[in-house]
Amino acid sequence: MTLPVVGLRLALLALCLALWEVAGRTMNPLLGVPPSAVVPALRDLLLLRSYPDLLSSLALTVREIATAYALAVAAGLGCGFMLGMHRLVGRAWGPMLGALYAVPAVVWYPSLMLFFGLDAASKIAFGFLLGFFPIALAVLAGIRQVNPQLVVVARAYGAGTVTVFRRVMLPAMLFTLVGGLRTGLALCVIGVIVGEILGSRAGMGALINHAYGLLRTGDYVALVLVTLTLVVGSDVLASLLEHRARRWTE
Amino acid sequence: MRVRILQLVTVVAGLAVWEVAARSGWVDPLFVPAPSAVAPALRRIGGDALAGLADTLGKTALAYVLSVVLGVSAGIAVGSVRLLRDVLSPYVVALYGIPKILVLPWIVLLLGYGTTPAVFYGTLHGFFPIMVLVMGAVRDVDQTLVTVARSLGATTWQLYWKVLRGMGHVLGSFANGFQAPELFAATALVSAASIAIVLALDHLNDKLSRWRG
Repeated sequence: MTLPVVGLRLALLALCLALWEVAGRTMNPLLGVPPSAVVPALRDLLLLRSYPDLLSSLALTVREIATAYALAVAAGLGCGFMLGMHRLVGRAWGPMLGALYAVPAVVWYPSLMLFFGLDAASKIAFGFLLGFFPIALAVLAGIRQVNPQLVVVARAYGAGTVTVFRRVMLPAMLFTLVGGLRTGLALCVIGVIVGEILGSRAGMGALINHAYGLLRTGDYVALVLVTLTLVVGSDVLASLLEHRARRWTE
Repeated sequence: MRVRILQLVTVVAGLAVWEVAARSGWVDPLFVPAPSAVAPALRRIGGDALAGLADTLGKTALAYVLSVVLGVSAGIAVGSVRLLRDVLSPYVVALYGIPKILVLPWIVLLLGYGTTPAVFYGTLHGFFPIMVLVMGAVRDVDQTLVTVARSLGATTWQLYWKVLRGMGHVLGSFANGFQAPELFAATALVSAASIAIVLALDHLNDKLSRWRG
């Protein structure tokens, strides 16, 4: 990467912020929120002045995401392997799984709220619902990528099921599998946050709704920035794991 | 053939278990209505739901056309000019990755309720994946056709499930009123429409791939 490119990038960022500042000041400041209004709001937020329960809300959201993701990984791997290992079941249920994945997940959310209530359970269920499908489908796609001849040859040379899985199947499918796990995490995070914004009493989404409902738009933008850090952080973590997995295959 | 039979059996068995569970009182019918209660509810809300569905599909089509036109032109413009690509790509990727729900409250503040914010939000969802893929496709011209076709297929459902406001409004009011059968009927309708759209796009994708050879 050359120096002028970096310079241009920074210049562009500065230009956008400046334009936003000008536009924000000419607009109704409640709606525009120029960057100069975001900075003090962010400071108040981080110093726990505007929202003293920021840390517990953040912790709750992280806990919901972790639970939803753990459930999605367990169910996705289990379901994916079950469908992948059994040819007929896989060919019958695989497309059905794909069709369910195509259903816009938000349409389930009102039902999930009815079943699980306003608290953490409905957010976990929704995060699970979003994260499950890409993981299960990635396992299924990964298993299909395994060259069956290699499995036969390995068997012929006396490899047991565990060895075949570890030495032949896993390296062949790892790429797809890890990609699915990463997508699943991203969707879990989004699911939990969407769930919280659509209706909750605690968590980052509830704070965002509160700030937005009271037209405290500066606080709203600051809360969005904090939530974004969470989103980006989880994806960075996932990409690090993806790189490690990639190196292991090579 | 055996595959089709197994699929049919699965659906029928699923419906049967659901019906039995609701009738025998394992689950509260107030929350999980039996399929036999959903069918008449579908007839009861039929008119409203179909009108809502038409509204949603109209917004979806508009948002999709907008995001294709804007996404493809922006992708081609940025992808084909080296300097633009180098400077803009980290920003584009960052914007692509941001969960758009976080800006939804702001969009509602600025644009209110109705068609405009729904179409805007849908376009926002569809635009970035299309732009990112077109940018990549323009760079590696070899793969252009496949990537674009796949990009269209892959983004549709994402685009679609965010433009749900029209139907979502109907859904929300049912959930609030504890009208579970009506809620389920509306959910089924939206699901069926989404699956139909995705299947149609899959079909189109197949045809286009074959046409390309």
